[in-house]
Amino acid sequence: MRPAGYLLFLALLPLVLNDFWLTLVATRALILGIIALSLTFLATYLGVVSFAQATLAGVAGYTIAYFGPNTVGVGFELPFLVSIPLALILSTITGGAIGLIARQSRGIYAIMITLAIGVAFFYFTRQNYALFNGWTGFSGIRAPEIAGVSLRDPAALYLLSLGTAALAMVLVAGFVRSPMGLSVQAVRDAPGRLLALGIPVTTPIVTAFAFSGFLAGSGGILNIWYQERISSFSVGLGPIIDILIVSVIGGLRHPSGAFVGAVVFVLLDTFAVDLIDRERFNTLIGAVLLLIVIVAPNGLQQLAKDGFGRLRQSNSNATE
Amino acid sequence: MATDALLRIDGLDLHYGSSHVLHGVNLQIGDRPLGILGRNGMGKTSLCRTIMGLHPNSAGRILFEGSDISGLPPERRAQAGLGYVPQGRRIFRSLSVEEHLRIVARKGGNWSIDRVYETFPRLKERRRNLGDRLSGGEQQMLAIGRALLLNPRLLVLDEPTEGLAPAIVSDVVDLIGKITTEGIAVLLIEQNLHAALAAVDDVAIMVGGEVVETMTADALDNDQAMQKRHLGLEPGQAGKGE
Amino acid sequence: MITGMGGHMTLFLIVTLNGLTLAALYFLAASGFSLIFGLMRTVNMAHGALLLLGGYVGYSVVDTTGSWALGVLSGGLAAAFAGAIVQAGVLGWMQGDELRQTLASIAISIIMADLMLWYWGGLTYQVELPEALSGGQRLPVLGVGYANIRLALMVFALVTGLALWFLIQRTRLGAVIRAGVDDQDMLRALGFPINRIFILVFALGGLLAGMAGVIAASALSIAPGTDLQFLLSSLVVVIVGGMGSVGGAALGALLVGLAEQYGLAYAPTYGAVFTFAIMVVVLAVRPQGLLGRAEK
Repeated sequence: MRPAGYLLFLALLPLVLNDFWLTLVATRALILGIIALSLTFLATYLGVVSFAQATLAGVAGYTIAYFGPNTVGVGFELPFLVSIPLALILSTITGGAIGLIARQSRGIYAIMITLAIGVAFFYFTRQNYALFNGWTGFSGIRAPEIAGVSLRDPAALYLLSLGTAALAMVLVAGFVRSPMGLSVQAVRDAPGRLLALGIPVTTPIVTAFAFSGFLAGSGGILNIWYQERISSFSVGLGPIIDILIVSVIGGLRHPSGAFVGAVVFVLLDTFAVDLIDRERFNTLIGAVLLLIVIVAPNGLQQLAKDGFGRLRQSNSNATE
Repeated sequence: MATDALLRIDGLDLHYGSSHVLHGVNLQIGDRPLGILGRNGMGKTSLCRTIMGLHPNSAGRILFEGSDISGLPPERRAQAGLGYVPQGRRIFRSLSVEEHLRIVARKGGNWSIDRVYETFPRLKERRRNLGDRLSGGEQQMLAIGRALLLNPRLLVLDEPTEGLAPAIVSDVVDLIGKITTEGIAVLLIEQNLHAALAAVDDVAIMVGGEVVETMTADALDNDQAMQKRHLGLEPGQAGKGE
Repeated sequence: MITGMGGHMTLFLIVTLNGLTLAALYFLAASGFSLIFGLMRTVNMAHGALLLLGGYVGYSVVDTTGSWALGVLSGGLAAAFAGAIVQAGVLGWMQGDELRQTLASIAISIIMADLMLWYWGGLTYQVELPEALSGGQRLPVLGVGYANIRLALMVFALVTGLALWFLIQRTRLGAVIRAGVDDQDMLRALGFPINRIFILVFALGGLLAGMAGVIAASALSIAPGTDLQFLLSSLVVVIVGGMGSVGGAALGALLVGLAEQYGLAYAPTYGAVFTFAIMVVVLAVRPQGLLGRAEK
């Protein structure tokens, strides 16, 4: 019951953390982690690194903004019970559509195509005012009240994010054990062989992308409640790279690494000011990414595991 | 011969992924051309690739003209005098015949482009054709010509007769004889026992990534039990290559 | 002044010329990107950053010396040098691990973009044009006026394309590069130090990007974000045209450049959708790109 223990510990954090730590570090890391999980899921089980996850989160976020209370006068308001499922449905469909477009591409080709899709979406949101309100985007978005609890309360949003993150992990674990999840992994291992056997690979690929869209969408909804605004910059290269960096730090082949990466990233982002000129944060984060790619291409989690493994080995050697 | 062998392989091991492909291979090649025989999957091609540096060996040494080359990248081995005619010929599909020769040719060696054309008149006729427009035999001539232009001390040929018509097989055998008389050492990997016995003086037999027998070509020719045991050939079958 | 069909026609011609101008720039940027990809299978995410570096260096040199030609040359050389360092110092050590190379080149592009922002600031720069290239002229037949520098840019792209074609198809170095695209191991086994060829090709790609940067800064302007714009266009151009093919880069650049300008003129808020739609259609019909070779 170790996961349950962790979860209980994390659920009790609001009792000890102040609002700064809770909101700016813990909640933020959880939300970033959920979106990054949608990437590590794809990378681990389909073997595809997608650069369109910020786009998927953005689709959900823009849906909430367009159909919710906002202060820019674009869109119309729907009840949250409608707009939230709608946001998830749209991000899921968008995910599936991206999967359909990239279905014949693997490796670097998939990276190029998903990146092109992501950046094209960024330029589109900047140009288009009817749907996205151009580059100013939406502001004044408010998280709803559920059963008398406002999700604008730091502890409430934190607990919701924690619950969503836990649920997302459970869903991923369930998905990969399902028959469809197994097909997805078969596509990853031997796409050519499946094609040769006449087994269609499109359905598993599209399903995996759609599921990833669902995960990214749930993160995207939380994110817009957290930020209370969304604009083209929320889906630009910055967030695309941030999600990638989070995943790489945690390890692209470890779904749960997304949360490890998110915590490291948020801590760096929050406290880098003390280390380096605020304006040079990008140089720092670029250097961190480069260092990790060079030293620990499988992510910090794997590095730690290897480290412990070696430590244990040398200890047992010493006792022999 | 033991000390002044041109190529000397000591205890060579190769791991490929999790499989152990070569087990302590020992070989020596001097002036007499050496053939390596064995069934499919016995590690012959892996041995070639390891000699050329395309697979890093996990243990052992490869001494060429007395110095250990096993740490060198493939290009340094080629520059040191190892010529390679790979299995499947690996002709560059977007280069013409002429370009294949032109990128390799150096001034002042024994072999020049003109001499390659003299040796293989067919290549001269097809000099403007792209690599993937050549027949199997033409590709083989080009692969050998390309390797000879490096003016190698040792030529490693990996199944040069594979998939060729019998008449062309005997051309290749004749050519190997000619190369030998020029003082170029030859390491020939073959499935075609008859062609190998005609082309080389000594043979080594590989089974399961190890060299199990080394003998002269004549001795193997006369030892049908050995042929059957290691090469899976019934008596008399060896002649069928013709 | 603009009346009836005549006005529409003039607008159409100007938009077409703008599309060709952009296509010329996209081709200059994408050809180096495509060349590097074709030989090394490296998606150089720092290509946009190399272009912007060339543009900035070119600006500074023109600003100091007053010579535009010297600016183009030094912008190209600076980016070539930076490209060679990227390959020799970082990417070359990860050869064969494409995902790692992609990630590393992203890291490099982030660092480069930030350091350039630090040094050159967030300003928009436009390179001062030499006498011969400033001003414009009325084009014969078409009857519309157009800026000299933009016409020169199209000529420059054409000449560069032909030179590149000549280099790759007609020279010994080009044959070696093509052989490397076909079969790297075999090329090495023939005595060619592939790592040095990689560095050379990376420098060549950087040279093309750097010159494109200076020319972009002359015909249009450059600022932080220009790197991203050209990285995206290069990606789409090679996806559409086919990876690793100079002709493909030209065709892709033409399609993307024209689509972008027509989109901007006739459907200003959906322009990005055009580019995207071209890419999706090509991927659906011909996944390897219009002039690309199918993967083995």
